[in-house]
Amino acid sequence: MTSAAATGLSDADFTRFCDYFYKRTGIHFTPSKRYFVDKRIDTCIRNSRYDTFASWFAALRTADRSDMLQELINQLTVNETYFLREDYQFDAMLSTVLPNVLAARGGAGRITGPVKILSLPCSTGEEPYSIALRLLEEWDQIDHVDVEIHGADIDSEVLAKAAHASYGERSVQRVPKTWLSKYFVAVGSGRFQVDEGIRSAVTLHRVNICDTAAMRAFRDFDVIFCRNVLIYFDELSSRRAAENLYGAMRPGGYLFLGHSESMSRISPIFTPTRLPEGLVYQRPSGAK
Amino acid sequence: MGLVRKQTPQQPEEVRPEPPDTETLLSQLDDPDPDCRREAALGLVDAAEAVPELLARVGAEEDPRVLESILTTLAARDTEEVAGGLAVHLASDEALLRTAVAAALATMPQSVPALLPTLLAAPDHDVRVMTAMVLADLPHPEAHTWLVRMICEDPHPNVVTGAIDALLPSATAEDAQLLRDAVERFPDDPFLRFTVNSALPRLTGTT
Amino acid sequence: MTADTPTRARVLVVDDAATVRLYHSSLLTDAGFEVSEAANGLEAVEAALGASFDLFVVDVNMPRMNGYTCVETLRSETVGTAAPVVMISTEDRPGDADRAYQAGANLYLVKPVAGERLARIATMLTAGRDAA
Repeated sequence: MTSAAATGLSDADFTRFCDYFYKRTGIHFTPSKRYFVDKRIDTCIRNSRYDTFASWFAALRTADRSDMLQELINQLTVNETYFLREDYQFDAMLSTVLPNVLAARGGAGRITGPVKILSLPCSTGEEPYSIALRLLEEWDQIDHVDVEIHGADIDSEVLAKAAHASYGERSVQRVPKTWLSKYFVAVGSGRFQVDEGIRSAVTLHRVNICDTAAMRAFRDFDVIFCRNVLIYFDELSSRRAAENLYGAMRPGGYLFLGHSESMSRISPIFTPTRLPEGLVYQRPSGAK
Repeated sequence: MGLVRKQTPQQPEEVRPEPPDTETLLSQLDDPDPDCRREAALGLVDAAEAVPELLARVGAEEDPRVLESILTTLAARDTEEVAGGLAVHLASDEALLRTAVAAALATMPQSVPALLPTLLAAPDHDVRVMTAMVLADLPHPEAHTWLVRMICEDPHPNVVTGAIDALLPSATAEDAQLLRDAVERFPDDPFLRFTVNSALPRLTGTT
Repeated sequence: MTADTPTRARVLVVDDAATVRLYHSSLLTDAGFEVSEAANGLEAVEAALGASFDLFVVDVNMPRMNGYTCVETLRSETVGTAAPVVMISTEDRPGDADRAYQAGANLYLVKPVAGERLARIATMLTAGRDAA
């Protein structure tokens, strides 16, 4: 462990770090974020075996240490998961993406097969259950179209929690009260459990997104949410993950990344599209 | 209609479909459907015997997405055979190919170093420019040293400026003189002068 | 200052090299442009989807998406911009300029490009843009 005094960032260090981080992730840190970034880097350095910013930064850049990058990203991004997180993307799903998907597949009357939505990583389940709630409450086509919702994660512990689907107040604080009483059961200690009907509407899977053979189990998805995981991967792993997501999608399908993420640092295989709510990526709809 | 419900409550399942065998995948590398070729290339990630076939297709594959998948599979194998087989394409007239290959090589710190003496001495300055691009992202502790050498020795100003750009993120006050020397060597290059003059205060002001 | 001060023309500088972005941004800012930057062709496409630019200055050799593919995409229905594109490259092979024009660029220059020259070209290419 290193004392804080040894690790202070000079202005040049901050600039150098921001240039590296922008190059690596596409994310800009403005001078207003200086204090935030300094503190987080300081934590990374103190948790590492390096004594100074210079040695830590050199190792980060040259030692091919994806664990250091993961630690750094962890420190710099908000990791909390909760219901209806970044729900402007669910808005986009309802207002533009699903109508486009339906239109491309012949419309509600002629579509063959379900609309398939994948949340990967689904973590403890808030994301796929949020999707279920918004579809049931706000999609005008929900009674005319079959929808399959799938959640997948590499971590069996979080999947077990997702299956159990019991959450604390912090996790459900953005859920409208009417939805809370309609779809959740209070199970004591300030916790709420998603009711059986919704739980059974989400199929959970354990998978490593970087494993091409395993990801072959996922096919023909119309919409995939892959938020705030690709940013943790090194270059080669994120490329492979992107390829595996592409293969899991139906041509014309849509992919949502986290709001500060971009394919521009990962892979050119998807086509970016600007929606009113932000950027989304598509697998080209080609003749197959 | 509506949300499709599972028949019985399930524990999260891990389903791993049987992958096609290597022979099948290899034959699919020639399939007329680019999606099929793409998936075959990705599926061959664990097949060492597929490397020669994949390398052979790097220069020939016309679909950019298939090329990307071939390179993603090859780059996972950080060996001299792969690095050497890719590096020849740094000389390609096709921008898409040479930049895609450079990006792949930049993820191969084990095997790229052995290629550097040859690449740094390549008669084609465009190849040396691409080499600087690889060194900019190659996670190797000696990258700084090779870039210093390029800056000091390369006869072409565009190669030197590419190497300087690659060096700056890791540059210290000790590198200040070699940067000034580069400006001396190419006094008529406005970009080089501007870049070094912009960088020097930051470098020499750092402890 | 007149009552109708014209807005500055917006230019997107696209190059994977931070030093080159700085150089071109600096001289274009001095020449009166509002400058944004992108580090590769795909980031440029994403930027162009979110904002309207009067000029693009695009490098050729970039990872993830090279300059030619970037310009093709800017001209395609994915973005569909008619704004002028200047491609700038270290490459000086025969056929490179043709490749650039084929992709939809208006001009192909070889590095290094003197500051005043680029500023003059940029000003000339954006002189006919629609006023905001």
